[in-house]
Amino acid sequence: MSFLKVEDIKKSFGKTVVLKGISFSLEKGEVLAIIGSSGSGKTTLLRCLNFLEEADGGKVTVVEDVLFDSSDSSAKSEREIREKRLNFGLVFQSFNLFPQYTVFENIVLAPKILAKEKIFKKEDYQGITDYKEAVKMINDTANSLLEKVGLSHKSNEYPCNLSGGQQQRVAIARALALNPTVLCFDEPTSALDPELTGEVLNVIKGLKSSDSTMIVVTHEIEFARDVADKIIFMADGVIVEQGTPQQVIDNPQNPRTQAFLSRFTQLQGNL
Amino acid sequence: MEQFLNVTEQLFKGFGENCFIFIITLLLALPIGLIVSMGSMSKFRPLKFLTKTVVWIIRGTPLMLQLFVVFYIPPLMSDGQVSFPRMQAALIAFVINYSAYLSEIYRGGIESIPKGQYEAGQVLGLRKSHIFFRIILLQVIKRITAPIGNEIITLVKDTSLASVIAIPEILMNAKDFSMEGLIWPLFYSALFFLAFCGILTLLFSFIEKKLDFFKS
Repeated sequence: MSFLKVEDIKKSFGKTVVLKGISFSLEKGEVLAIIGSSGSGKTTLLRCLNFLEEADGGKVTVVEDVLFDSSDSSAKSEREIREKRLNFGLVFQSFNLFPQYTVFENIVLAPKILAKEKIFKKEDYQGITDYKEAVKMINDTANSLLEKVGLSHKSNEYPCNLSGGQQQRVAIARALALNPTVLCFDEPTSALDPELTGEVLNVIKGLKSSDSTMIVVTHEIEFARDVADKIIFMADGVIVEQGTPQQVIDNPQNPRTQAFLSRFTQLQGNL
Repeated sequence: MEQFLNVTEQLFKGFGENCFIFIITLLLALPIGLIVSMGSMSKFRPLKFLTKTVVWIIRGTPLMLQLFVVFYIPPLMSDGQVSFPRMQAALIAFVINYSAYLSEIYRGGIESIPKGQYEAGQVLGLRKSHIFFRIILLQVIKRITAPIGNEIITLVKDTSLASVIAIPEILMNAKDFSMEGLIWPLFYSALFFLAFCGILTLLFSFIEKKLDFFKS
């Protein structure tokens, strides 16, 4: 049984079919990179996993827990969906930090609200039943996450005073603060100047060693080759090719993958 | 000198009426406007359509006419059975009118917040109410401070319209003096408005400064 199992995910917007049945699986600690041209459905796939879109069909299982199953027609309450989506973290292309909160507050805001909610209901928050203790744990976690992404010195800054790369690193720390089972990145460097992508990619690489399971949608082919255990190439809502970086990037079998990758090497050649 | 004191007293008395209308209208229209804006953003079509129609009618007709309608129509329709005292009628018309205007400012502010802010809250597992009150609201307030300030300053001066249903507000009192041949109380009354709006302007630039610590 795989750690994360995604089966036959389908999604349409009106008459446009965006995902035509996506299936893959992932082991604990593995990094999956999804590549493909714009409009191939990569982002929609991540949004379906994070419940930002509801898939029309398919099934998502994490460990033994079925998070989404289109054949189960019982209505889900907002609370259930909120619980389930916490299995996934999502780092957005456009960071989406909360502008009125400092870096530190951005990271602790949601954990504190969730801890309060849980403890108020006499449940535990990550094993802690006392709110004060939970807050201390949340603050400690936030500080060590800030250290991990190299921004301890920016803890009290507001997002508007940070560079794009720094903002994205805060966003990564914010997603990690909730300890998601699978962390997803939606083109985390696409909104950044080229000289800032390195610092963000390095942070993501750094996470790999701490055996987080990750899904990264990216246009950085070199990075994907470097960091991923598994690559999926998507086009027009289907998985065209999947395998190890050596298989997909160095020896693509499908003509569409070949064409996509050769465009990239041409681009890099021109630079 | 005695005349000056007399005029001052009359104008102050009148301005008290203006301030009363101003404060009550503000206290009621600010929250009601928010509720109305929720209506015009509703996903339930009939409610959205109804709200938008009402807002269109209120914004599309003169406030003076609305004052007449609230004050004169109920007694005419009911043979004098139903009627509002002057001040109540004025307050009803002002609150309805300003709720409609404010609702559109709220709507603009709320709809201008990027979808990503809601989604960031969602993927962090927050409930809708937390997302609105802890993440969205302050950003909306920052964005609408200037237009709300504008609307509130307009309200200060609009309160004078209450004179059309014979509420003895400041301009009406000043005009009464001019009937007796005294012109200067009219200009004197302008000072009251200028001072009041000056204070509001300072207040709003203070609020804007307070919210200057972040960019949204």
